[in-house]
Amino acid sequence: MSLHSTNRARPRKPWQWIDIRGRRTGMWAFALNRLTGIGLVVYLYLHFVMLSQLFMGRAAWDGFVELAHSPLVLAFDVVLFAGLIIHGLNGFRVALNGFGIGVRQQKTFFYGLMAVGALLLAISTYLIFTL
Amino acid sequence: MPKLHVRVLRQRPDTQARYDHFDVEVPDDANVIDVIEACWRQDQNLMYRHACHHASCGTCAVRVDGKEVLPCIVPLTACKSTDLVIEPLRNFPVVGDLVVDVSAFFQRQAAAGMVITRDAEETIDGHPFQPSELLQSDGKLERRHYNRFENCVECGICLSACPTLSATDGFFGPAGLAAVHRAWEKSTNATERAALLDLADRDGGVWQCHGAYECSEACPQEFDPAEAIMDLRRALIQRKVAALFGGGR
Repeated sequence: MSLHSTNRARPRKPWQWIDIRGRRTGMWAFALNRLTGIGLVVYLYLHFVMLSQLFMGRAAWDGFVELAHSPLVLAFDVVLFAGLIIHGLNGFRVALNGFGIGVRQQKTFFYGLMAVGALLLAISTYLIFTL
Repeated sequence: MPKLHVRVLRQRPDTQARYDHFDVEVPDDANVIDVIEACWRQDQNLMYRHACHHASCGTCAVRVDGKEVLPCIVPLTACKSTDLVIEPLRNFPVVGDLVVDVSAFFQRQAAAGMVITRDAEETIDGHPFQPSELLQSDGKLERRHYNRFENCVECGICLSACPTLSATDGFFGPAGLAAVHRAWEKSTNATERAALLDLADRDGGVWQCHGAYECSEACPQEFDPAEAIMDLRRALIQRKVAALFGGGR
């Protein structure tokens, strides 16, 4: 038995991964996970670029640290935390669904976790701008 | 008689897709299929499919304002405006206008040995259901979980709604995996059940589902392929964990 068939090609449209027009909660959650996932991968590379400042001596690193405390970069930190929280909590929901937990309640589960996420993000934002 | 402005996506495999505009009038109690037929009366080159007109054949499936529907059972009153956009299903090769090639759907079922058969008249143990056993007071099927897949009219709507299939041909798709699930649930033969789980475990199987649940949302028969996929995942995880500790396969 095989899962594959040999039908003629049909158009592939990966942009439909984030096409939420007329779609419902599960699709919004799916699109959010895609977008935050891509964002986190981009951030990872950006993070390596930032760390590479260490190879350029103390002055370069100190300059970067000063930049990292600017309000604009702190705002980016908030966006980063939002991505981490949304992706992490949503991934947790999908993983539990895979164990058969909360499948029928997946929408409530999503909204509940996003409410938790909003609370975590509010606390994170406060700490980022005050510590 | 409501006056409607309808945009229909017109295309052939070798031509550029375009929207044709139709101004039509249909009775107040018309369904969307009547609107499509009114458009066809203006341009008889318009390709669309239909047969039963009561949601038992699944052939007329299209997208109306972006959502997959069976137009034969969607009343105009359910549409938000008098401007309609009618397009073919996604994720299938287009034959022409609103007609798509759904043969992949059926071939995949056959390739997996899962041709859909309508044998809901019997239970797992061969007991024939009586109507009185099937219906509760609210009209729902009593053995709902088992009987659900018999509701599938093989319309392909779940494949059109599935975002995973937008990007890959490799995914078996919601209806196919739901068929595997149904056979797995129905079978009492341990070897057969293991083989069905193996099938669901392969590339293109349940692990490729991203859990958007659009298949279940879009299904006009309120069948729940996403739940079937998640139940197969649960069974596979259970089997893998048991295998880690030396039990089962």
